[in-house]
Amino acid sequence: MFPLDSPWNISFAGCGFLGIYHVGVASCLLEQAPFLVHNAKHVYGASAGALTATAVVTGVCLGETGASIIEVAKEARKRFLGPMHPSFNLVKIVRHVLHRTLPADCHQWANGRLGISLTRVTDGENVLVSQFNSKEEVVQACVCSAYIPVYCGIIPPTLHGVRYVDGGISDNLPQYELKNTITVSPFSGESDICPRDTSTNIHELRFTNTSIQFTLTNLYRVSRALFPPDPMVMKAMCKQGYKDALHFLKRNGLLNFNGPCRDQPLLANAEEEEEYEEEEDEDKGDKEEKSQEEQTAVMVHASPSVEEHIIYLPPALHEALVQACMERRSLAQSLGNLLPVRMASAMMIPYTLPLESAMSLTLRLLEWLPDVREDVGWMREQTLKILQHVMCQASRSFSQQVSARLFCQLELHRYQSLPSKFSSTNLFSTWVHGSSSSVQDVFMRLDQYKKQLLTGGLCINMDLNGSFRTGVMLPENSPPSLER
Amino acid sequence: MDPATTAAPLTNDCDTEVKTNKTGPRSFWSWWPSWRPTSMSLLKTTESRILACIQNDLWARFVTLQNHNRIWTLTVTNKGVRKPDEQAHKTPLVMVHGFGGGVGLWIRNLDALSHSRPVYAFDLLGFGRSSRPPFPSDAAKAEEQFVNSIEQWRQSVGLENMILLGHSLGGYLATSYAIQYPSRVSHLILVDPWGFPERPKPQIQEGQRSEVVKRPSPPRWVKAIAAIVSLFNPLAVIRAAGPWGPGLVNRFRPDFKRKFEDLFDDNTMTQYIYHCNAQTPSGEVGFRAMSESLGWAKRPMLQRVHLLPPSMPLTMLYGEQSWVDSSSGDKVVQIRSPAHTRVLLINAASHHVYADQPGEFNKVVENICKSVK
Repeated sequence: MFPLDSPWNISFAGCGFLGIYHVGVASCLLEQAPFLVHNAKHVYGASAGALTATAVVTGVCLGETGASIIEVAKEARKRFLGPMHPSFNLVKIVRHVLHRTLPADCHQWANGRLGISLTRVTDGENVLVSQFNSKEEVVQACVCSAYIPVYCGIIPPTLHGVRYVDGGISDNLPQYELKNTITVSPFSGESDICPRDTSTNIHELRFTNTSIQFTLTNLYRVSRALFPPDPMVMKAMCKQGYKDALHFLKRNGLLNFNGPCRDQPLLANAEEEEEYEEEEDEDKGDKEEKSQEEQTAVMVHASPSVEEHIIYLPPALHEALVQACMERRSLAQSLGNLLPVRMASAMMIPYTLPLESAMSLTLRLLEWLPDVREDVGWMREQTLKILQHVMCQASRSFSQQVSARLFCQLELHRYQSLPSKFSSTNLFSTWVHGSSSSVQDVFMRLDQYKKQLLTGGLCINMDLNGSFRTGVMLPENSPPSLER
Repeated sequence: MDPATTAAPLTNDCDTEVKTNKTGPRSFWSWWPSWRPTSMSLLKTTESRILACIQNDLWARFVTLQNHNRIWTLTVTNKGVRKPDEQAHKTPLVMVHGFGGGVGLWIRNLDALSHSRPVYAFDLLGFGRSSRPPFPSDAAKAEEQFVNSIEQWRQSVGLENMILLGHSLGGYLATSYAIQYPSRVSHLILVDPWGFPERPKPQIQEGQRSEVVKRPSPPRWVKAIAAIVSLFNPLAVIRAAGPWGPGLVNRFRPDFKRKFEDLFDDNTMTQYIYHCNAQTPSGEVGFRAMSESLGWAKRPMLQRVHLLPPSMPLTMLYGEQSWVDSSSGDKVVQIRSPAHTRVLLINAASHHVYADQPGEFNKVVENICKSVK
């Protein structure tokens, strides 16, 4: 039984295109146990999870969310290299979709309730953003959280003037450690809501807090996170999410349970009023959503039985997904699917790809123009920092090297060794310290080893060197050589 | 005058210094720095840091078996008991850890469980600080070697009978042991045991109605990767990573640090896990021999569980959030007589039930122990 007497949270894991799973989970929770979502203190999300979390908090129709994810996936699959094709601009599409679907007052819903996991570029630390002042900020936070470096682009986006990248890099399942957080992950493992693979694998790893069991299906899922599968497979994943969430509700006895706040009022405390207020707000959202659902779906269900919904998704969502999955079969497309045409286009790739790349590159450059100054400034700053760091390292190792050499020579000087010896060790030390300090002892040992084997050969070599230098480095001349 | 010979002693001096600092002397490869920053002595120091938490009387020693393998054994007895013989006639509790673990993982349970009876915990053959002999590649023989080592250990320690508790892989081996030496086991406790369910046959027809649509079989390249991975020992990555190994454990198993964070605020636990597994693989080889295609048991326990004497009490504890499917526990109840078999779920616990919910776990185990003399 899930403890409902204290505030609880919901956390959606980052998972790329598998975000469709979250849509299934969220729709199940909203349908079967709406109080669980509406009374949740916080809804967290990272990467794709952040998109679903935003949709849940702001009351966007989940059918629409799911459909958009599938649309994006279809867009990504259209091209030869999939999402790696230069003309596929994920950030732009995500931004566009968010602007289209989110209501204008979404920041009011999201403020304080929605938590989006971000990774700060400067130090790699995790940041949970939960204060939003405008719709633009919500959208930007989502974009930042979904921005996988290299995959999405090179220059990370900003939020409040700070550069952020994908939240999944530092914390893929925000606040999972709180006992009262319902964790949702499309990878089978030890999350509260996750697919249960029939496997008994003993190995499990945690990718920045997300538990991932080492199974064949998970391997497949991970590969599909960035390279989206067929729309039908995605729909099946959505269904799987619905099923797993239902399983979770059943296991915890939350099914057909109206929530503690409505049936049995909590003990009188200060928080109570607040909670009621919140609830009212959420109720409004609930109604709005219901009306949206009614618009899209013809069938209105009053009290659905469990058995019915083990296999069927909510009609609104189902409809939307089916719509999204449908291929618009035009003549051009069916022609394009013919084998010879496909083969021809594959063979043309070396010629078409550079052209397309150039086109999309110019497009991107044009789109980039407004931000150029800011981004270039940032890049210059970064390069300066890197250079500074390198210089710092180099000077440090240089000073170490010099001091080591000085030490070596001083030691020898104290021994009052012969000039010929002196020069050879001098040479030896330059060999050793010439390399960076971390490999130093390896080299030292290698030299040692070599010397043991090839004493004779090396001797001659060194002797020669020594005799060359003896003229210069007489014991009287050694002080100047120290300062070198 | 040979410059090289006089130069040599000097460098030699600092060389030996480096050697003793970092790697310790070795025979032929002494000039080459160790790739993996681990050794038995490092494991020992890490373990002693963990065992320092034990409040009661602790006796830690190597138990030598007939075949000269050594098993690292802990005995914890209650300090507060006045007469030592009061505890002596009670059946002791023997704890067997899971894959890749060691005695240190029981740190949150040893004290509590030793309250009424002596508790024994040992590193399985090929794991932790115990000997690391080669294992046969045949599933039955590897299992035999594990089970034999437990029996020989029991003889060397001199226990007549025991309450046997096994976690994960330890649960599998404990069951196998109880089948072969039923008279020695007063009560069998399995915590999230590995290796019970059978691998589903792909040609079964009944799955065709709905399962096939939902879960498309993984593509060929996934299977290829799996085939390549299964050529290596399960934890080969940690060893291959060399100096990055400890970081790898920290990065991918931060949960171990979290589970024990009220005891240690540094990386003691993850270091312990690393040192346990970065040594020469041995028990891992045995495990690999007993498992197939990413984790199924070659000889599933569900097929053999009926061989346990029907009168032997058996309790199976499962973590509620664990990836181990508790439904195999229900199947065991069906196979055996329900009178002597119980399945318990522990709330909000992952696979490592004993560390996630130590209070609840200790209470449950203590209650089971009370039912035994």
